[in-house]
Amino acid sequence: MIRFYLLAMGAFLALDLLPKSHRLMNALASGNALLHLALTCTALLTLDLPVRYGPSLYLDHLNLYVELITVLGFCAAAPYAKGYTESLMEEGELDPKNLKLFYLAFNLLLVTATAALFSDNLALFWIFAELTTVCAAVLVVILSARENIDAGLKYVFIVSGAMLFAFLGLIFLFTLSARALGEGTLSWTELMENASSFSPALLLASFAFVFIGFGAKAGIAPFHTWLPDAYARAPSVSAILSGLMQNLGIYGILRTYALLRVSDSAPQASFILIAAGLFSIALAAFSMLQQRNLKRLIAFSSVEHMGLLLIGIGIGTPIALFWALFYMLVHVLVKEALLFAAGILHRQYGSNMREDMRDVFKLQPRAAWTLILGSIAIVGMPPFPLFPAKFFILLESAEVSPYLTLAVLLLLILAAAAFSNFLLKAFSRVTEEGEGEHGKEPGYRKKSFQDPYVVRAGMRIPTVFMLALALLLGLWFPEPLKVLLEAIVLELGYV
Amino acid sequence: MIDPLYLEGVIKILFVFVLISAALIISTRSLASVLNTYTVQSFLLAAVSFLLYLIDGKSELLLLAGLTLASKVLLIPHFINRIEEKIKIRRDLDFTYLEPTTSLLLSIGLILLSYTFLSRVFGDLALSRLFFFGAVIGLSLTLMGMLVMFSRKKVITKALGYLSMENGVLMLGIFVTELPFILEVLIVIDLIILVLLTSILAVGLDSSIEEYRAKIRKLQIWNGGEAL
Repeated sequence: MIRFYLLAMGAFLALDLLPKSHRLMNALASGNALLHLALTCTALLTLDLPVRYGPSLYLDHLNLYVELITVLGFCAAAPYAKGYTESLMEEGELDPKNLKLFYLAFNLLLVTATAALFSDNLALFWIFAELTTVCAAVLVVILSARENIDAGLKYVFIVSGAMLFAFLGLIFLFTLSARALGEGTLSWTELMENASSFSPALLLASFAFVFIGFGAKAGIAPFHTWLPDAYARAPSVSAILSGLMQNLGIYGILRTYALLRVSDSAPQASFILIAAGLFSIALAAFSMLQQRNLKRLIAFSSVEHMGLLLIGIGIGTPIALFWALFYMLVHVLVKEALLFAAGILHRQYGSNMREDMRDVFKLQPRAAWTLILGSIAIVGMPPFPLFPAKFFILLESAEVSPYLTLAVLLLLILAAAAFSNFLLKAFSRVTEEGEGEHGKEPGYRKKSFQDPYVVRAGMRIPTVFMLALALLLGLWFPEPLKVLLEAIVLELGYV
Repeated sequence: MIDPLYLEGVIKILFVFVLISAALIISTRSLASVLNTYTVQSFLLAAVSFLLYLIDGKSELLLLAGLTLASKVLLIPHFINRIEEKIKIRRDLDFTYLEPTTSLLLSIGLILLSYTFLSRVFGDLALSRLFFFGAVIGLSLTLMGMLVMFSRKKVITKALGYLSMENGVLMLGIFVTELPFILEVLIVIDLIILVLLTSILAVGLDSSIEEYRAKIRKLQIWNGGEAL
């Protein structure tokens, strides 16, 4: 069945090669995202989950949910990409010849991610996850600037290298199943059914290897080093990196950890998760504190959030998992809004650096307010949905150890301080009357301070939409979402 | 029919050569000889799986040997060779974190580490001695390839490190378990990744990452030259 999906999508992508105008290419990308959104929603509403089609296509609540998050991110990113790439081309940073490649990689990223999520076979999942790395790297290096090539290469080397370790883990899993069942298998469902009869030591070893690979994909410290570079360099698609790539890594970890829950080595595995999570949060919080580059600040905040997610998964109680899953969704919404707003500021100032930003409220009031509200949301302030998610994960973490709760709480405060520090310093710079048009301060590099960059509607609407959606989820928790999350918790065997 | 014991002996000798090739990739400074070493290493891998086929008679092993020979001994080295000619760097002199001597000492540690790790993990798994050693060599090769990626500066050498890591993973796969057919597909995928990487290299990249970071800062091609 996956073959049919890939064939259909291949035809679609071939269609993608035809159009000459940017508008049409963008419309196709948006259409692709909307198509996937429609399919996902239909599957969620009509199918009696879990279902299996053929040997490799498998739909259950978890992968549909992650797909939903991914597709939401793409739906917002597609219209945004139009405005952003247009202004990149105006400034000569993006070669118009590369536009087709950009959209090809953009669409292909969604297709490979979808294929990865819905394949029941671990090896297929691995291949498609590797392919998403390649597509994302193409998106990062698309600009003619060489620093992008640098970031893209770093990304590919770190993630693919780590993914080879994940492959070692798969080999171990295959051996294990071959011993227990007589014939080796890498199917999630078959492994889930038989995991209790596997040898715990070997299972733990394979989990550790798989964790290295998908941890690197999710941007968990110490494999996160690609992330700040890629975020800072990628043109607008950094939003997709956070929305998709990182969740894909978390998805892999979640599935593999679910295998271990039934075996004797569950405590060690959850220790690995919690330790890696805590380390990520700590490292990110301290790196954020003196960060002067906006996109890097947001990137490290992603590392921090992935850490918290890992802790949520590692605690192992149903409540913690429930909120961790919810967290995956709202994190993407808020993070994309933040990155979109940061992209608008980058267009305005031609830089992500704090000292280049002046008169923000005069020039880009909407982006400024999005950043402020988004920061409030991302640090977990009440009206926004990250607050209950963080609150309950922290509450549950006390079950593991109260010191863990305390440590995480302190680090989260540190991260919040980093955000407010950045915003205060960046947004309080105002050009005084009579100071003149040519700034004398160091770091004052751009000439076009006086004229605001015209934000296209395609860029503005997704930004506001994501933030509004997040706010809505904070004020009102929809019943279907609750049912869906509870079903996932049950499916993963958390009782 | 050739005596299996004799074949096992040959395979063990090949193991030693595989390790030597990994050490050479870590320490050699000339790009051309790193590439040659990689070619030889892949050839050794193909030879090992062919010999195993003679012992076991599993046709997957023969397929794997053929595929390795075609892709890793002929195609990939040829491609990289062309790119090396294009970018006109002959030597990779600089090492980022580790000097070759340190990395060689470290890789001895890594071999010991993978030995102890695997003997603990596979303690309850009945593997014959030969297969156990194959797994150890495979894991060490992977770790040493990682060391290459970590310590070498030039992107091409890093890519070769990645490829050698992949050789290690394949080797472990051959010896630990009966090869699932998907592995062959994976090789093709890795090929795609490599082709992509190197074509990016051919387009723009003619110096090491650190070097052109410095260049960029001077040129200010990208406004707002980045703070690291």
